[in-house]
Amino acid sequence: MNLLRKLNRKQKLALIAFLLGLIALFAGSPYDSNSVKINVKEIALSTIKDSDKIKPEILADWIIQGKSDFVLIDLRTPDEYEKYSLPEAENIPLVNLTDAELYKNQKLILLSSDNVQSAQGWFLLKSKGFKNVYILDGGIVGWKANVLFPKQKPNMSKEELALFEKKKAVTFYFGGKVLNDSGISESNSEFNLPVQSSKQNKTSSAVNQKKKKREGC
Amino acid sequence: MNAPFYKFNYFNSDISLVVAFLIGIGFGFALEKGGFGSARILAAQFYLSNMRVLKVMFSAIVTAMLGVYFLGVIGWLDLKLIYMTETYILPQALGGLILGVGFVIGGYCPGTSVVSFSTGSIDGLMYILGAFFGIFVFGEIYPLISNFYNSTNLGVITLPEVLHLPYGMVVFLVVIMALGAFLLAELSERKFAFRNPENEK
Repeated sequence: MNLLRKLNRKQKLALIAFLLGLIALFAGSPYDSNSVKINVKEIALSTIKDSDKIKPEILADWIIQGKSDFVLIDLRTPDEYEKYSLPEAENIPLVNLTDAELYKNQKLILLSSDNVQSAQGWFLLKSKGFKNVYILDGGIVGWKANVLFPKQKPNMSKEELALFEKKKAVTFYFGGKVLNDSGISESNSEFNLPVQSSKQNKTSSAVNQKKKKREGC
Repeated sequence: MNAPFYKFNYFNSDISLVVAFLIGIGFGFALEKGGFGSARILAAQFYLSNMRVLKVMFSAIVTAMLGVYFLGVIGWLDLKLIYMTETYILPQALGGLILGVGFVIGGYCPGTSVVSFSTGSIDGLMYILGAFFGIFVFGEIYPLISNFYNSTNLGVITLPEVLHLPYGMVVFLVVIMALGAFLLAELSERKFAFRNPENEK
């Protein structure tokens, strides 16, 4: 104690810095590693609420409006992704999800063939501390049923018809087709998935965009 | 110039300019109060008689490093979100050398010259004009030197990666290095006190 009192302010600050440095020797890495500490109970209690799901129609609107405040992640295999995926979606298979360069301040929307893989990805990211994770409700199946190939019910009311007309415009935007009640498309052709142009270079471009920006003093 | 948190869209770009302006005023005030508006004190750094620049810089580095490190460890700060510039080792070494030579000759670094001019000093103004002339020359000859400018890119690298040391070890070593530098600085200030412009009269 006496020794401490003898030190002047500069020396005390130096001592504090030294002690903090010493603690740092044993405090480990500040970067996230693969093993994470999770509150098992909290994760178990947290379920995917409806507010964490995004309806395909709403996502379709966002894409048409050119919204860019989210990153769309396709969790399926590269093969499935090559065959068809949503515009702007980038392919990060589920096993690579936690290694991918994602930022915790990004809004992430997960999609897979249905809700199962998306839910797994959702739990993975949530347990790593990502806050803004959403899943595309119904995945690709839901996307096809609601956006690409919506079914036209017979005898719709006037309001329903007006709404459906709007839906049709969205469907055409994404290159889909309207089906009638029996599931046959109006133009009688097969269920051809829309061909995507300019798929190349899309992978991970959304993530890298941020890095290219030059910041600094 | 982006103010802190600008990219989170908490405020628009107009407000960000105002925020940056206020922070800049505060920064300039602190520099002037610390004596960094005086070319003689700054140049004394290179005559080893007034080590204020080194002390301030190293204090800032150590304080920021310890803060960022411990906030990262307890999980309050996501280090991945911190922007880091890429390393172009040769062009950056040469650029640093040019800046250093200018620092010795002019007695200012770009920021402190503005601080000095704001208190009415003419040499501060000359330094600013010189800096703008340098920027102009650089812009004009850029096509000739762009190959060199973009060469030896090592990407975003950090000391723990390059040295293959644990992060905490690097933190500790930098603290030790800083404390050693402070000690040497005190010694050299005592030894060369006769050259210190602050001791005149």
